[in-house]
Amino acid sequence: MLKVEKVYKSFGGILALNGVSFSVESNTITGLIGPNGSGKSTLFNIISGFYSKDKGEIYFNGKKIVGLESHKIAMLGIGRTFQISEVPEKMTVLENLLLAPKRQIGEGIFNVFLYPLKIKQENEQHLKKAYEILELVQLYNLRNEYAGNLSGGQKKLLSLGRILMSEPMLILLDEPTAGVNPILIKDLIIAIKNLRDKKGDTILLVEHNMKVISEICDKVIVLDFGKKIAEGRPEEIQKNENVLEAYLSGSSKSDVIHEDS
Amino acid sequence: MTVTQVVINSIVRASELTLLSLGLTIVYDILKFANFAHTEFAVVGVYLALFLNVTLGLHIILAAIIASFVTGGFSILIDRAVFKKMRSSSGIIIMVTSLGLAIALRNTIRAIWGADAQNYAVPLQTPIITEYFRITPLQIWIIVIGLSAMFAFHLLLHHTKLGKAMRATSDNPELAQASGIATEKIITRVWFIAITFASIGGILIGLETYILPYMGFAIIVPVFCATIMGGIGNPYGAMIGALVLGFAENFGLYINFEKIINLGGILNFSKELFIPTGYKPAISFIILILVLLIRPRGILGKKKEG
Amino acid sequence: MGLINFLAYLAIMMGIYGILSLSLNLQYGFTGLANFGQVAFFCLGAYISTIIVLVFKMPFIFGLLGGMIVAGFFGYVISIITANLKEDYWAIVTLAAAEIVRIFFLNEDWVVGGGPYQGGSFGIGGIPQPLRSLFSAYTYPFFYLAIVLVCLLATYIVINTLTQSPFGKVIKSIREGDNLPLALGKDVKRFRMKVMAIGGSFGGLAGCLWAHYHGFVSPNQFLPLETFIIWAMVIVGGKANNKGAILGAVIIMIFYNSTRFLKDYIPIEEVTLASLRMVAIGVLIVVAMLFMKEGLIKEKKTIY
Repeated sequence: MLKVEKVYKSFGGILALNGVSFSVESNTITGLIGPNGSGKSTLFNIISGFYSKDKGEIYFNGKKIVGLESHKIAMLGIGRTFQISEVPEKMTVLENLLLAPKRQIGEGIFNVFLYPLKIKQENEQHLKKAYEILELVQLYNLRNEYAGNLSGGQKKLLSLGRILMSEPMLILLDEPTAGVNPILIKDLIIAIKNLRDKKGDTILLVEHNMKVISEICDKVIVLDFGKKIAEGRPEEIQKNENVLEAYLSGSSKSDVIHEDS
Repeated sequence: MTVTQVVINSIVRASELTLLSLGLTIVYDILKFANFAHTEFAVVGVYLALFLNVTLGLHIILAAIIASFVTGGFSILIDRAVFKKMRSSSGIIIMVTSLGLAIALRNTIRAIWGADAQNYAVPLQTPIITEYFRITPLQIWIIVIGLSAMFAFHLLLHHTKLGKAMRATSDNPELAQASGIATEKIITRVWFIAITFASIGGILIGLETYILPYMGFAIIVPVFCATIMGGIGNPYGAMIGALVLGFAENFGLYINFEKIINLGGILNFSKELFIPTGYKPAISFIILILVLLIRPRGILGKKKEG
Repeated sequence: MGLINFLAYLAIMMGIYGILSLSLNLQYGFTGLANFGQVAFFCLGAYISTIIVLVFKMPFIFGLLGGMIVAGFFGYVISIITANLKEDYWAIVTLAAAEIVRIFFLNEDWVVGGGPYQGGSFGIGGIPQPLRSLFSAYTYPFFYLAIVLVCLLATYIVINTLTQSPFGKVIKSIREGDNLPLALGKDVKRFRMKVMAIGGSFGGLAGCLWAHYHGFVSPNQFLPLETFIIWAMVIVGGKANNKGAILGAVIIMIFYNSTRFLKDYIPIEEVTLASLRMVAIGVLIVVAMLFMKEGLIKEKKTIY
């Protein structure tokens, strides 16, 4: 579904991505790991159109998407969360979710006056779906709270919920379990797996929590200093010497093994 | 009017603008907001000097110095009373606040001194007249003071502890705070220097033209323009911006566009085609818009990461 | 002026400024667009409708529509030109743009072909009040007030409906940053353009209503000061609350006009009084931003 080909990106002299290539197959969960600064976020930002690339190509379902604006890429079916949750603080949890569906009739300024009934209907449909999702991420009780009042972990859940509302084909999750309490992580894992199995979605996630990675990923890609140093099933990766080397010599050792967050 | 005269006018104007834009750029850089009250502070200094000079009879130089320092101190008080409470607010909120402050300051002055134009009590200037230009001693002084201020600023930035701290805070605020550079103290000193310089600039303008309560507003866009054009946070940029703007305003009115259009052979105007003097204020507005659209970081500004 | 007549006049001004306040609130309160050039829409609406009625001799309603269209278009153009600017630069550019508009009308008297209408720094006089001949001098203000109130109501309904719709949700999300709405597939630039076009056209509406009541427009009436008075209304009344915007207009107008009578009781000159009024507005803005930046009526929380 997604094919990244020899992507390069540098920021003011620092090479963040040094010719990264990999592909993500449909209906799989792929993990993207690597020590801090290895280029994972940069890659996400390039795929979703928030950064521009220097060199390389990215194909989404065979179509070149590099150079498209971020909102167009989102409309093509790529949804993403942000590492630091982007949550409009002055909108309620429910409003956040209702914001998410694409191509709402009520977003057109003339439509608002021409088709009030249709808009109301659409809104009701979305509300129903929102309630379901809220149950799933256990935020139902907070549905009328301002998003700004949520804890860090709750904001992450809200971001995930929002993505679900917008029904993307490829979901880019940026550290979905960071700051979330362990009990909830179990539910999150189930939810993400369901996305693949029941809805046929494809997921690419950046994670530091190796337990999560090994539990849900079909394939893992490892980056270090902007280059891909390993690719394979989670079990293979954990034994891979290059990977261990990268984590130990690079940044925080705490990334490496069995993080109980 | 000869080219030499236009050049002189440009340099004089640039000198005045430099004093004002230097202050604006350092405050904008350290506090991260566009201070719409900046030129109003300068006007406070102008009127204080007027009071000292005309009402109390002090010599203009003494009046100017005292007034500028007092106004610098005044700005510290205002910072404590108003802006300090907003250190973590968004730029727009502080900007709107500074707008309210500007309105309050400007109209307080107007209420006290009235809306009529006034002048400092200085002896009448005899201009030096040559075949190509005329220049008054005051204008020469303005250029000298402008240059001295630039030089003094340079010394401040590179040869004092404060200057070093200012540069550090400007480049990396979090690191500066973490490494113990007392940011609040720096902020206080930056205000003082910025507004003292700005007052001097305002007083010079008042000496050269006249003193009006709304003179701050008349200057604010050129000053913003010079600051942004040079790159926020870069005092050298502010100086360059002031220079460019000084020339642009004066040459903009001087150039006969008819000749340029005819050169291109496009049209054949038989009339002269100048930008009408009524549009002089618009020149800086238009340049500002162009700068912000084409190169928002300015000539010497830092690039933001993508 | 008799007291009743004065009250009618005051109400008309409240209505006109209510429209301006609603328009600015849509831009700033709901979408986060800090428009420091709001007066440009006011000015364009006033001048364009005046020109349409005086020079092209068309009826009032065409002046109204023309003013709204031109002002709305100006808003649209500004938003395109400034699409990539960050917020404080955006604010500065709008201030500059409004001044350019004013300076244009200050210099260009050909707009009304000189002659009996003058123009330029003299302003344009002799703007006919619509349907004036049907009423006496005493009752006409009330008729005009009715027109203004209808326009105010229409403005409120349009803007309120928009802000409560999915469109409103999108612009509220834009208010706090572009990243999220972009990631959800919303074309942020186009939404901003629409907000500016709508805000602009209502600003133009207010300008037209103003010009045709006063009978006279001049560049001095459209100084940046006007923009900041409107800002005071939005801030004091309630940011992102449409009723608050109108309340803000009412309060500031009462304040602004009540001090007119002071000079009959206190020996202050007109100029000083005018200045003090402005000082109070400035202080009001500062105090409101420090202690009450949500305004009197806070943003309504949408609850399902």
